[in-house]
Amino acid sequence: MLDQLPHQLPWFICGPILGALIVGLYAVANKPLGASGAYVQSLQWVRRRTVVEDWRIWYFAGILAGAIVVSLVRGRPPIGWHYGALGAWVPVAALIPLLFGAGTLIGYGARLMGGCTSGHGLCGVSALSSASMVATGTFFATAVGFTAILHVVSGGAI
Amino acid sequence: MRRIGFLFGCAFGGVITAVRMNEYNVIHNGLRLTNLYIFFVMGSAIGIAMVSLYILRRIGWVTPLGGPLELPPSRIERKHVAGGVIFGVGWAVAGTCPAPALAMVGSGGWLGLFVVAGIFYGLMLRDSVVERGEQKRQRRPRSAAREGSRALPQQTIPVDL
Repeated sequence: MLDQLPHQLPWFICGPILGALIVGLYAVANKPLGASGAYVQSLQWVRRRTVVEDWRIWYFAGILAGAIVVSLVRGRPPIGWHYGALGAWVPVAALIPLLFGAGTLIGYGARLMGGCTSGHGLCGVSALSSASMVATGTFFATAVGFTAILHVVSGGAI
Repeated sequence: MRRIGFLFGCAFGGVITAVRMNEYNVIHNGLRLTNLYIFFVMGSAIGIAMVSLYILRRIGWVTPLGGPLELPPSRIERKHVAGGVIFGVGWAVAGTCPAPALAMVGSGGWLGLFVVAGIFYGLMLRDSVVERGEQKRQRRPRSAAREGSRALPQQTIPVDL
C-alpha cells in the first residue's frame, strides 16, 4: 500500500522522533504526551470550568498548527470532504452522523479509561504502566476485530 | 509551560501528519493488518521511549519543570477494559483517534471536524454520567448534608494521560 502514499516518511525515522517527543516531555516536565487530556482541558476552558492544566490547551492548538505546517510544506494539502475508502463507500450525508457517532465512542471510551492511543498506547506503555498495557491491548484488539467485521459487512469496500 | 505545550503539540501534530496517520486509509489498513506501518511507527517510538525512561529513572533524573521524574504505578481496573472496547469500536469506524483527528482537520480534511466534535460530545457525555453518579452519592448520606457540604462540591477532574 506504500505506493499509494507518497511522501510518507519511513517509520524508522518518524518512530524514533515520536519516541523522543514522549521522553522529552517526561524529561522536561514530568508529563505524559496525551491527546485526550488536551481535549479534556480544552473542553473545560470552552465550558468555562476549572482548567487544571492550561498548557494542554496550547498543546491542543499545537497539534493543529503542526499539522497545518507539515501539510503546507509537503505541498498540495488534501483539502476537502474526502475520507479515504470510507468516504468512497458511504455518501457524505450518512458519513457525517457516522463520524460524529464514532467520535462520541472515542471520546467516551477515552474519558472512561483515562487516556487514548497517545496517553495509554505510547506514554503509558513506555512508562511500563500495567493499566495502560491492559487498556492498549483492549482497544487494539477491539479495533482490529471490529475493522475485520466492517471489512466483511461492507463486502470488502472498506 | 504553555510554550512547551505548544511546541510539543506542533512536533506531535507534525509527525502524525508526516507519517500520514491523519488519513483514514493509513490507520484502516493498519487495523486490517494489511499494512503494518503504523505498528512499526508506534513500536519503535515505544521501544525508544521505554529504554530512555528506564535509564532516566535509574539515574534519578530531576525534571526542570516537574520535580523528580516519577511514573506512578497504576492499578488495572474494569474501566480500562470497558473504555478500551468502546474506544476501539469508535477507532475502527472513524479510522482516527484524538490526535490524528485534529491533524486531519489541520491538513484540510474537513470531515475530521465531525470526529473532533464527536470526541468532545463523548467527553461531555462521560462527564455528565460521572456527575450524576456523584450527585446521587451526595444525596444519600444525610450526615454529610448536615455538615453543610450541600453546596456543590468542588469538582475534581482527574488528570488524564
